[in-house]
Amino acid sequence: MADMKTSIFPGSVRAALVAGLVAGLVTGLESGAASPVAAQGQPSAEAGRIKSSMCAGCHNIPGYKTAFPSVYSVPKLDGQHATYIISALRAYKSGERQHPSMRAIAASLTDQDMADLAAFYSSSPAKSASR
Amino acid sequence: MKNRLLAIIACCLFAAGAAQAGNPEAGKEKSRTCAACHGPEGNSATGDFPRLAGQHYDYLVKTMRDYKVGKRKNAIMAPQVANLSQRDMEDLAAYFSHQQGLVTRKNSYFVH
Repeated sequence: MADMKTSIFPGSVRAALVAGLVAGLVTGLESGAASPVAAQGQPSAEAGRIKSSMCAGCHNIPGYKTAFPSVYSVPKLDGQHATYIISALRAYKSGERQHPSMRAIAASLTDQDMADLAAFYSSSPAKSASR
Repeated sequence: MKNRLLAIIACCLFAAGAAQAGNPEAGKEKSRTCAACHGPEGNSATGDFPRLAGQHYDYLVKTMRDYKVGKRKNAIMAPQVANLSQRDMEDLAAYFSHQQGLVTRKNSYFVH
């Protein structure tokens, strides 16, 4: 990446932005082509798996920590309830819940995106899988 | 800008010093109130309440602190954390983070 040294963003934010851009392109292409999205309105874990490319750069790297705005482990999502994931994303989108990266990402999501992502993340077998 | 840099450094120092100070056994005792909504061992029964079992220790501490200082607002959680000490929060976080529940699944979409 040629602009790494001149970027004004800290590493994790830059990574999130890049991931978001890539995800936007990918989902854009996916929705244009024959995508695995089920009937409109039906949450699809498979569609969510593809859309999760914008989440995975932080949430699916074991032990990953944010560096901005403060340092702490990015919460685990796999095995979380779908309803809770949707309510969290909506709260980020509305600004009720505050986090710069999450606000930006959630703002780009439709209700269908949120439902698909929630279906994907809640589909992980909680408890039975190892931590 | 300078203040911001200092704040970031302070956060780094805090995070480095906060490596799992809580006692899970003590946290178990203190977690009885939590179980009413978050379920036994933090595995809540419905999506109205997040699953806490297996969540990262430092994230749980941060969340409780955010509720306590009002950075994160929730009508149910605010009164719950109001009387928790830093030690209580660390013990609770230690307990819930030690339970089996949430996981980090490596996203196979990227792994080829």
